[in-house]
Amino acid sequence: MQVEPGQRVRIRVKVNGVYYEDEVEPRKLLVDFLRENLNLTGTKIGCDTSTCGACTVLLNGKSVKSCTVLAVQADGKEITTIEGLSSDSKLSPVQQAFKDNFALQCGFCTAGMIVQAHYILSEKREMTEEEVRDMIHGNICRCTGYQNIVNAILDASRRMRA
Amino acid sequence: MYPAQVGYYRPDSVEEALDFLDSNEGKVLAGGQSLIPMLKLRILKPKYLVDIGDLKELSFIREGEVASIGATTRHSELASRKVPGLEIVQETASKVGDIQVRNMGTVGGSLGNADPSADYPALFTALDATMVIRSKKGTREVKAGDFFKGAFTTALEPSDILEQIKVPTYKGYRQAYRKVVRRAGDFALVGLALLLKMEAGEVKDVRISFTGVGERPHRPLEAENALKDTKLTDGDVSRAMELAVKGVNPPSDSRGSSSYRREVMKRLLKNTLEEMRGAS
Amino acid sequence: MSYAGKSVKRLYDDKFVTGRSTYVDDIKVNSLYATFVRSNVAHGVIKRMHKEDALKMRGVVAVFTGEELNQLIKGGIGPWTTYIDPRPWKIPLWRFAQGETKYNGEPVAMVVAQDKYTARDAAETVNVDIEPLEAVIDMEEAKKDKVLVHKELGTNLGYVGDFNAGDAEKALSNADRRVEVEIANNRLIPSPMEPRGIVSQYDGANLTIWYSTQIPHFARAEFSRIFNIPESRIRVIMPDVGGGFGSKAHILPEELAVIAASIRLGKTVRWTATRTEEMIATNSRHNVFRGEIGFKNDGTLVAIKGTLDVELGAYLTYTEGLQPTIIPPMIPGPYRVRDLAIRSRAIYTNTIPITMYRGASRPEATFIIERIMSTVADELKMDDVEVRMRNLVREDQMPYTNPFGLKYDTGDYPTLLKEGVKVLEYNKLKEWAESERKKGKKVGVGLAYYLEICGFGPYEYSETRVNEDGSVIVAIGGTPHGQGTETAIAQLVADELQIPIERIKVTWGDSEAIPAGTGTYGSRTLAIAGSAAMASSRQALEKMKRVAARSMKADVEEIEYRNGEFVHKKEGKKMSWDAVAREAYSGKEPGVSASVTLEGDVTFPYGVHVAVVEVDDYGIARVKEYRAYDDIGRVINPALAEGQVHGGGTQAVGQALYELAIINENGQLAVTYADYFVPTAVEAPRFKSYFAEKYHPSAYLTKSKGVGEASLIVGPAAIVRAIEDATGKRFNKTPVTPEDILK
Repeated sequence: MQVEPGQRVRIRVKVNGVYYEDEVEPRKLLVDFLRENLNLTGTKIGCDTSTCGACTVLLNGKSVKSCTVLAVQADGKEITTIEGLSSDSKLSPVQQAFKDNFALQCGFCTAGMIVQAHYILSEKREMTEEEVRDMIHGNICRCTGYQNIVNAILDASRRMRA
Repeated sequence: MYPAQVGYYRPDSVEEALDFLDSNEGKVLAGGQSLIPMLKLRILKPKYLVDIGDLKELSFIREGEVASIGATTRHSELASRKVPGLEIVQETASKVGDIQVRNMGTVGGSLGNADPSADYPALFTALDATMVIRSKKGTREVKAGDFFKGAFTTALEPSDILEQIKVPTYKGYRQAYRKVVRRAGDFALVGLALLLKMEAGEVKDVRISFTGVGERPHRPLEAENALKDTKLTDGDVSRAMELAVKGVNPPSDSRGSSSYRREVMKRLLKNTLEEMRGAS
Repeated sequence: MSYAGKSVKRLYDDKFVTGRSTYVDDIKVNSLYATFVRSNVAHGVIKRMHKEDALKMRGVVAVFTGEELNQLIKGGIGPWTTYIDPRPWKIPLWRFAQGETKYNGEPVAMVVAQDKYTARDAAETVNVDIEPLEAVIDMEEAKKDKVLVHKELGTNLGYVGDFNAGDAEKALSNADRRVEVEIANNRLIPSPMEPRGIVSQYDGANLTIWYSTQIPHFARAEFSRIFNIPESRIRVIMPDVGGGFGSKAHILPEELAVIAASIRLGKTVRWTATRTEEMIATNSRHNVFRGEIGFKNDGTLVAIKGTLDVELGAYLTYTEGLQPTIIPPMIPGPYRVRDLAIRSRAIYTNTIPITMYRGASRPEATFIIERIMSTVADELKMDDVEVRMRNLVREDQMPYTNPFGLKYDTGDYPTLLKEGVKVLEYNKLKEWAESERKKGKKVGVGLAYYLEICGFGPYEYSETRVNEDGSVIVAIGGTPHGQGTETAIAQLVADELQIPIERIKVTWGDSEAIPAGTGTYGSRTLAIAGSAAMASSRQALEKMKRVAARSMKADVEEIEYRNGEFVHKKEGKKMSWDAVAREAYSGKEPGVSASVTLEGDVTFPYGVHVAVVEVDDYGIARVKEYRAYDDIGRVINPALAEGQVHGGGTQAVGQALYELAIINENGQLAVTYADYFVPTAVEAPRFKSYFAEKYHPSAYLTKSKGVGEASLIVGPAAIVRAIEDATGKRFNKTPVTPEDILK
């Protein structure tokens, strides 16, 4: 595949189970592709420097920061965003646990935080508080002080094991 | 924070990539965790990105007397794989950035970027690893000690691709990669890769390499030599500490001043040596 | 059935946990994108602008200079006159840069294009010739007035005010001991996770502005004044707002430019700040207190004399005028000291303008007085608790008028300290830390006390409307943006109306849907907007009673309301809430609604917080635990209140240890988000938060006081004290860096 500067290229991605095709400039960031081309605005842009994690999505099942991935890099791959974590009206155990544990305030980091929580729980079901803290340090929250987020993830882990 | 216009080429093989790079002005894109931030800041404005991120032939970990690591192996893969004699590689990989960065970023990408505070340059310098570099002209090997030329500068030419890193194993060595950070996920204020071989209470071999203290990884050979054949007494350790910072003039930045970094270098070396001494 | 006092779950979380929230950048509306060309010098003359290349680019709609934009931007950004008396101030005209640029990073030209990538491409081709002028970056240097930020003001001192009470000089000379102090907070970046943004739509007559703000109604008033458009023709809508911490009660030239461009072009224009732009948009703090204190040998503080210098940056922002006038009168805090002489100065520099940040003035005042208390303790080798006990205002003195005339409403400060020490196990922690230190570990425990002023008036609006189906909409002038106050207010209203909380919707943040309002800041919302909501709901209930009476052909006095039923006391007839609501829309004067504009005045919560710190061999300090014991009046929703303690506490960790906005010699912000160290989950402490069971109520209907800022007000002092305990060294500034610790 070769695309000249300023030209667009057709990419095909599967997002939250649905195939999408669209034309993008190679420079287009994945987060902008999701938000602008696919209208999936649940994924947020918080920092631009891959520091804050608000833009976290799953790319082929692994959490990545979509502000630091080009849309073309996702061509042919599967993406899960916050919108894809709950089916119909049923919240996922992580989403439910965030609600139940007061794990959000302004909500801006929440999408990235929940996607990351899903990822770490897919890797490891049982964790200590210390481990949870370490595994979410790529996601910054300015409101909650993290304690309720950590509690929510531990709570979700219990629910998922039950 | 949006990249400038750029072309894009996705080869099906390293060969194709090399052909393209030979006749076009391109920048190799692997995971993009170092490159994309630079594109966004428009510090770099290449004509083409040559995306080798998904080339299977570059993603591997092979064990052996001399292990080899494919350049596009993700940090997360390295972090989850213990290679006998190279436990330090796993430890280092697990300390790069954060989980998301490790899931996308590659070892070769980080090496090619050569950030003076990155983790792998110090690691592979300590391990005396060999970078296997390919271009249209052929394959060449460059020792880690010669690979890092300066801040963000390596022996890689624009038409080169880093193929793999060959790493001699260090069986029987105590190994540790330690880094001091101001905040979790930050680049190293100072990082230290340390390998130590003790026999009958004496230091048989030691390899020391720092990151974050200059433009390139710093391997204080004088300190290493001074430690060899010692019993690693407190006196030996303090001598090594002084030699480790001799002639080093670390940068001053928002993470800390030059003199603070020197102090951290000394303490990091001391604490890690003592920890290893205690582990016998 | 009672909701108040319970940790009721937040009512509107679903959209956030499922990705259906709508922040300003999520709003889908056909619009053009703005971006800015910024000054790369701290002070300079804008000579020439080359915009032809940009205008030739595909998708570029316009490039505007300051001259062009300022034809529409008639007034300048000025101080928040609701709280700041502009008269003693020297205020420069602050519009879009025109003629001169005054700080590095200041927007000097605006590009409008079809998308944000193109806008950025175009901005790169706009050449602005700026001839550098001598700049003054350092506040100490600026005080000398050798280089002036604004020549027309004749000085860099934007404000000088003397806060004198009693006779500080005499008290100092009578004191047993006198000690000099220098206490400083360095520059911070508030860093809400959502960068600011604005969308402006102009239809030829009316402006509709979606704006990430804490103050939609004030913003409307400011836009009206600045653009000379009647408020009636401006609608400001606050969508979901991703945190503010005071920084989004601040109006920027970039935002005025977006509005101006939308008027000029007759098109919708939007701008969402990148993180870098957000960092340039909002800096906060930086103040230094230098002076002398006098105290008796028994630990009684008798005098404080000194100078407070507060940096303003290049312009007077909407909110920074608060600091120099609120810090001094709050310096006595909860203590009895009555002889003070404080000269307060506010200083312009060629740097990013400074705004208020969570706590605004109270963190500065608290850090100063708590450092003073700890200094007295150290000088006299007294215990931190004992020295505070010696100085706290006693219960029999309440209500207490402080030496600057602030009237502390209710509280029992010494009893809270006694209880707090016990509940937080302060002494046990101290002993534990000492034994750990003997084992070679560097751990320490610190305590600090605070008195906060919050619940600011002047008023708040609420309307309670009962719909035909009996559901209720409460429209408030407060503007929650993460605090969860809407849930607490729904709890209060549900209790007032005795209906299930699910039947109540709380709404806010649209200057046309809500006829009036002030906003959410200063820990005021639950007290003042909550009380307004209670009052409007009571009135709505009275109207419902009248409808029930009419329907049951009774006098209103004969109707009793309880648990969702209107009962004719004599006849025993009943009507349900819903039946009455339906009835209300079928007779004469249909509808049931009541609105109030409730006046209010300040209230004073207080508390004691304790931090446990561990310092490693590299001087890197971590706050392991943070404990809080507060009297915040009546607690309506404990989980929400705790959330404020946690969040503010983590920001306190940031301020005390990690966060520092470094401005280099060129006036340039020298940190990015990668090295401006907002704490992560690893740096955040474990929290234990308690509220006094025997609380002291405010005068508000809610009986609540406020908790939004408590931990950031007192936290830095508690954490710094803990570092001192761990290291045996003395620190009178924030942040305390690893380097300071190793020195």
